[in-house]
Amino acid sequence: MESRMKKLAILAACAATPGLADMPVTINFAAEIAGQPFACGTPYAGLGSTGAEVQGTDFRLYVSDVAMVAADGTRVPVALSETDWQHAGVALLDFEDGSAGCANGTTPLNTALTGTVAAAEYTGLSFKVGVPFEMNHGDPTMAPSPLNLTAMFWNWRGGYKFVRIDMVPTAGKQEGPKGWFLHLGSTMCDSAGKTDAPASPCANPNLMEVTLDGFDPATGTVVIDPAPVVAEADLLVNAPETSPGCMSFPGDADCTTVMARLGLPYGDIPAAAQMLIRAR
Amino acid sequence: MRRTALCAVAFCILTGAALAPALAEGGFDWPLPDWMPRPPVPENNAMSAAKVELGRHLFYDSRLSGDGTVACASCHDQARAFTDGRETAVGIHATQGALNAPGLANVAYLPVNAWANPHMTSLEFQALVPLFGEAPEEMGAAGQEARLFAALAADPYYATAFGDAFPDRPAPDLFTVTRALAAFQRSLMSFDSPYDRFKYGGDLDALSAAAKRGEQLFFDHRFECYHCHQGVLFTDNFQREDSPWAETGFHNTGLYADYPAKAPGRIEFTGRAEDAGVFRTPSLRNVAVTAPYMHDGSIPDLRGVLAHYAKGGREGHAMQDGMIVGFDATEDEIADIIAFLESLTDEGFLTDPAHADPWPEDHPATVNRADP
Repeated sequence: MESRMKKLAILAACAATPGLADMPVTINFAAEIAGQPFACGTPYAGLGSTGAEVQGTDFRLYVSDVAMVAADGTRVPVALSETDWQHAGVALLDFEDGSAGCANGTTPLNTALTGTVAAAEYTGLSFKVGVPFEMNHGDPTMAPSPLNLTAMFWNWRGGYKFVRIDMVPTAGKQEGPKGWFLHLGSTMCDSAGKTDAPASPCANPNLMEVTLDGFDPATGTVVIDPAPVVAEADLLVNAPETSPGCMSFPGDADCTTVMARLGLPYGDIPAAAQMLIRAR
Repeated sequence: MRRTALCAVAFCILTGAALAPALAEGGFDWPLPDWMPRPPVPENNAMSAAKVELGRHLFYDSRLSGDGTVACASCHDQARAFTDGRETAVGIHATQGALNAPGLANVAYLPVNAWANPHMTSLEFQALVPLFGEAPEEMGAAGQEARLFAALAADPYYATAFGDAFPDRPAPDLFTVTRALAAFQRSLMSFDSPYDRFKYGGDLDALSAAAKRGEQLFFDHRFECYHCHQGVLFTDNFQREDSPWAETGFHNTGLYADYPAKAPGRIEFTGRAEDAGVFRTPSLRNVAVTAPYMHDGSIPDLRGVLAHYAKGGREGHAMQDGMIVGFDATEDEIADIIAFLESLTDEGFLTDPAHADPWPEDHPATVNRADP
């Protein structure tokens, strides 16, 4: 274990030193709902426990801590380029173009991560879905892109929405006020002082860890699909007095079948294997 | 020699002489009575008259909302000390909020500006919640910032006002809009009630006999009102200029045996069991015009609030504050306490043109605005 850590540290040091045999890497992502490509305004049938038909109205997520995985399991960090979509190792993936029902969206899309990684043979990909704690609780009015988008603010809970996948049943509003929204973010963020920003990680950080074995960036695509995540949830109803859909808040009956399928514990419910993201 | 130095220090402290020039540069100072210290101001948002005036225009401008119908003023009405008269606030698309719109008088002195969220430690940061919050939607502008800032930039008033307030950053954006809104709110000072004139101004006739009796009861151990509603703001939340620390007071008053999930108290943000049903103590300045009461507006009048405390908590809660033990009071005593609370109303604040809607009638900024 210790030697592995050492090797990791050496590799990380190499990766962080420019000019030392780095190679460019592009990692392509695709957004789908129930296996169909995501597009604003398109209906998707057969979702959730009641087979609801929904329109997707938003599809964005933050990704961080991106690394390629070597055959012996070591993680070699990918240095993400600094762009409007990527800042300090955090990237926003954006699959909505602001058209049709995606009224709160932005026109440009971003469906790939770009950066460099130490030249070597790799057998897999690993990353987190979410914004790391150190960057999640700053002042977003002064944050650079992509951490300045109001649709991704989560300030009243502390931080950003890590995942925002909004679905609106086409049958019209039933119990739910507006639709069924999957918003993932940190909750229960205590702080040392009564008036300090959180200084230690939140009780429920809700950062998803994703590892895709056998993934080759040259040929593979990372597919994001919420259908398996909400398979046991009824998208036509919303638990009374809770936010529409599952917004990560403790005590929301709409979340009980969902969070485990994001690979996260939820109250007394243990984490299971995440089902949101897979390689193709 | 030593005595001279000490006297010089004392002179500076007493007059605030060291601070006056810096404040004068921006052309803004608060019209505070001598006995009231200035509030703290964040380093990156110095006060200026231009910034306060810009913030006032933004505060009353419903174009800041997702559909152009909700301004800050839609839930914060000056005549009601910047509350809205409703049990809980109403946002865009008639969305019912979970909390009572809090008053804005003297908010510059409050270390935490929220009923329950301990992380709302600046007015700049707090402004993001009504503007862009989605659970619930208030002004419902999430994702709309590009359109919103473009609309503001196209208005002839803002075309010059942002440059006047922010010479180094003269356009509407997340930074400037939230700073200007905060500066306006920081200008809202209310320290000229009959009680202030009685207590600090030496005007012994400013209070009725009933209010004077009520003052004695308010500060009496039998009622214990003042343990939480203490100090110049009548709340245990306070921070002034150069405070070495902030005082915050959050309490469970036993309003519910089991607080509803939509407004569970500070536990919502900290996850600590002891934070169930815990909310920030509101200031009682102007309290007579801010009905209905409590964090969820569930008590319609002051008489009802006193009945809640007389009972030792309306429903009672396992972890309610130890100061809330209940009391027996006569009808006359209740009437006296209410007379005292009514003496905390600062009529000048409620009508001060410096805080009022600056837009001309039928201006696009306000023509579609929902008012409370």
